[in-house]
Amino acid sequence: MARLQLKNINKRWGDFVGVKDLNLDIADEEFLVLLGPSGCGKSTTMRMIAGLEGVSEGEILLGDQVVNHLPPKDRDISMVFQSYGLYPNLSVYENIRFPLRVRRVPKDQHDEMVMRAVRMVELEDFMHRRPAELSGGQRQRVALGRAIVRKPTVFLMDEPLSNLDAKLRVSTRAQIKNLQSKLKVTTVYVTHDQIEAMTLADRVVVMNAGEIQQVGTPTEIYNTPANTFVASFIGSPAMNLIDGRIDGGTFTAEGMTIKGLKTRHSGPVTLGFRAEDADVCEADGQITGPVYSVELLGDATMITWRQGGALVSIKTNKDYRAEIDQTVTGAIPTEICHLFDAQTGARIAQD
Amino acid sequence: MTHKEFMAFIWPSLLAMALFIAVPIISVAYQSMFVEHEQIMIETETCGPFGCTPEVAVDQDAMRKVREDSPAGRFNGLDTYTNSSHLATDEITEIVATSENFGEIRDRIMNLPFYKALIFTLSYTFIVTPLVIVFGFIIAVVVNSIPSFLKGPVIFFSLLPMIVTPLVGSLVLFWMIDSRGVVGAFLQYLFADPSLSLKASPTLTWVTLFVYGVWHSAPFAFVVFYAGLQTVPSDTLESSMVDGANRWEQIRFVVMPYLLPLATFVALMQLMDNFRIFEPIIGFSASASATSLSYLIYTDLREAETPLFGSAAATSMLTIIGVIILLLPVLFRNAREFNRKA
Amino acid sequence: MALFQTSSDNPAAQKSTALAVLSVAFVLVWLFIAAFPFLWTAWGSFKAEGDFFSRADWMNAIAGPATTAQTGGAFTLDGYRGAWIEKEFWRAAMNTGIVTLCVTMISLTLGTLGGYALARSGFRYTFWILIAALVFRAMPHVTLVSGYLLPFFQLNIWGYLPTTIIVLVAINQPFTLWMLHSFFLSIPKDLDEAAMVDGCTRFQAFRLAIIPVMWPGVVTTGLFSFLLAYNDFTTTSMLLTETNATMIPKINSFLGSTQEEGKVMYAVAAVVSAIIPLFVLIMFFQRQIVSGLTAGAVKG
Ligand SMILES: Nc1ncnc2c1ncn2[C@@H]1O[C@H](COP(=O)(O)OP(=O)(O)O)[C@@H](O)[C@H]1O
Ligand SMILES: [Mg+2]
Repeated sequence: MARLQLKNINKRWGDFVGVKDLNLDIADEEFLVLLGPSGCGKSTTMRMIAGLEGVSEGEILLGDQVVNHLPPKDRDISMVFQSYGLYPNLSVYENIRFPLRVRRVPKDQHDEMVMRAVRMVELEDFMHRRPAELSGGQRQRVALGRAIVRKPTVFLMDEPLSNLDAKLRVSTRAQIKNLQSKLKVTTVYVTHDQIEAMTLADRVVVMNAGEIQQVGTPTEIYNTPANTFVASFIGSPAMNLIDGRIDGGTFTAEGMTIKGLKTRHSGPVTLGFRAEDADVCEADGQITGPVYSVELLGDATMITWRQGGALVSIKTNKDYRAEIDQTVTGAIPTEICHLFDAQTGARIAQD
Repeated sequence: MTHKEFMAFIWPSLLAMALFIAVPIISVAYQSMFVEHEQIMIETETCGPFGCTPEVAVDQDAMRKVREDSPAGRFNGLDTYTNSSHLATDEITEIVATSENFGEIRDRIMNLPFYKALIFTLSYTFIVTPLVIVFGFIIAVVVNSIPSFLKGPVIFFSLLPMIVTPLVGSLVLFWMIDSRGVVGAFLQYLFADPSLSLKASPTLTWVTLFVYGVWHSAPFAFVVFYAGLQTVPSDTLESSMVDGANRWEQIRFVVMPYLLPLATFVALMQLMDNFRIFEPIIGFSASASATSLSYLIYTDLREAETPLFGSAAATSMLTIIGVIILLLPVLFRNAREFNRKA
Repeated sequence: MALFQTSSDNPAAQKSTALAVLSVAFVLVWLFIAAFPFLWTAWGSFKAEGDFFSRADWMNAIAGPATTAQTGGAFTLDGYRGAWIEKEFWRAAMNTGIVTLCVTMISLTLGTLGGYALARSGFRYTFWILIAALVFRAMPHVTLVSGYLLPFFQLNIWGYLPTTIIVLVAINQPFTLWMLHSFFLSIPKDLDEAAMVDGCTRFQAFRLAIIPVMWPGVVTTGLFSFLLAYNDFTTTSMLLTETNATMIPKINSFLGSTQEEGKVMYAVAAVVSAIIPLFVLIMFFQRQIVSGLTAGAVKG
């Protein structure tokens, strides 16, 4: 029983609001990812769960218990920090054993538990080294090992991969996912990397400026972004967002027209579509103009136009070639278009 | 930087150190092998109304001439080192031969001036240094945990005992522990003993000096540790909290290991400074019960008639050897580290 | 209070009331131990000997009945008058002023040049110079003094202020070199190297690129040079004549005559007078002193 609930959480430092009206209900064994740009309050949220930071308003429930005033050591959690927070004077073995020692787990169980964790994070060969004698990836695995040495109610991980190089990040990501599904422990994972979020999460929480923007499965977040922030934050390249007007199902903006959108809404709107959903075409396209740039991505070619003040990109066949300033037409079918309110940025539903 | 540029920048500093630190050490080594000239006596006749009486007096003219010829005195080899006011080799042999038990050997050796001073100096160094580290650490940890508006004033007043001139600081305490002073009177009241005086007993004098030493130096350790506490890596500290460590375990497993290099630094500085303990002995008028190596040298040089340069120099040499022994571990460590880097 | 709201509502930092009270109590006790002796002595310096050293009741030192009986007021300046005027403590204060000022200036000049050279030269001998400086730093000053006396007598330079100043500068050099060396290490090499690429000689680079940014380190080091010179007893007491004596040896010479009634108060007044400049120094330079004490530690 390790449901974790955050009810109307607020965090303020003086006048500055770090986290605002945050509500989350995290199910047992769920892998929840907090995703957002740097400074949006992800770490703060996680640190409040851990008890490293006080809550200005609201309640945190771990199971059925309100834990607002419990110090970290009484919360039965474990946490992996961005820079690992290893004990530099202790060996790898002792680092991993540390939580057992200070939580008064009977001594005779230590070795077995530590060795199980050591094997899970594949550090058998480095047990007697000090953290300073390890590579970044190995240190990261020590931190991971220390977190899984006992079975806590909740795992917390604050950007655990951000100090690793790109290749190691991919393999460690897989390892974390694998460990979590084996251990079946509720996990809250913080990252600013959308790919990490998409690959790991059961549910993603997208945050910005201290507020939740959208909560949903990776697919939901990707397919139906709740607002322009989520739309532009998720996906690579970012979703094209074009300001224009809609009237009777026809969207118009400088240099482009899209007909047949299924909405009764009219007035100024923001239209969005993903570069990978659209394509170039010979004629009858929705956008036509001189090409601003042509980028070869390997698996695709990306064509970009200047549209008003913004850039609009479309991914197409990897063999497609065009010259800069050559006039090219792009096809933007209505099914791939998202509509957002021009003022609030909120999603406008289409039938 | 070329050798030439390096020298151009550093020569004044090197010259000052060579002339006033290195050369004096050599001068001390040289002087230690000489002793004062023997008195040249001259027989004169003092004639009075009742006839003449022969009188023996120091021949001042002859003495002056000899002193001018060889100002350091006459050559004495290493004898000064072994005489009774220094290493006292003969006396030690005799004491060991004639004493019944260890206690007696110890008591008799404690009566030899050099050993008395050496033992006090070492006791002071090795008792005060650890106490300073322990107290400094405790104060730092506690001050770090109090509300922040108190911290500034606490640091301000804490600096006083350390910054104030040792002689002045010890006088301030000395006047207070005087049996007519406020602390002295309070102690008499506390122990219900109107004749209690910290000056009377050698043991109490030692304790007083140790207390002074801790009072004087704990602020230094405190400030160093306090500054160190501000930089304890918060990730590691927070890991330990989440891992379940209580307040003491956080200190034991995170803070103390992190501050260990600072403790080594404080220990080194304190060993050097405490080994030259001197002013407090004057400030506390403690020389009857406690003398230090530095104090011995000082009194030799202060000898009213003629300063005992030879004797002072020999004690100085022995002290210098003591300092070097004290520093050896540090020197080795530094050299090893330097070689590893190079 | 808003000030510690953040810490008290932080579950990680919360402590039991007992522990909080205990901590504050401990700090107050320490404050008392550190500061009370000075306050007590400063107060007592305005009393007569019969009050400051009261056989009857220590409370007399606070109220001061003997002082009132002798002088008619609860406070008296007799101690200060006796020390400063009768015993010419003003002369010692002046000498101290000259000595400390000169020592600080000269030490910093030499130390800045030397420390810069040590920080920028990668040759092996810099290491040995620093080690030698460490050993010199550890030498008890009185052992050095016993080396000076005889040559100084011979050269007829004993007893003068300039001799003492130079000696104190030299004794001060090891510390100054270490401190400024580690300070210059913290100034990026790029700064002077850029200047040299732009066409400066090494010395011009030092003057134009380094001197403008070195003042924080120099001020901190200067404070400690000042303290060393100001607090010195060993060297000044052995190398200066009675008339050239600085404050600390002068105070020591007062102690010889304290048997006479009232004379000990001269020493008390002189001691308090000598503490006041240090008090002011801490008041203005607390931060620099703290950073200086820890600068050596960082470098180790
Ligand atoms: N102790 C603090 N005092 C004041 N502001 C803080 C404090 N800690 C964090 N903040 C602010 O709160 C915001 C959110 O921080 P954080 O949760 O660390 O962001 P991130 O999402 O990058 O992890 C940031 O703007 C940060 O500056
Ligand atoms: Mg963060």
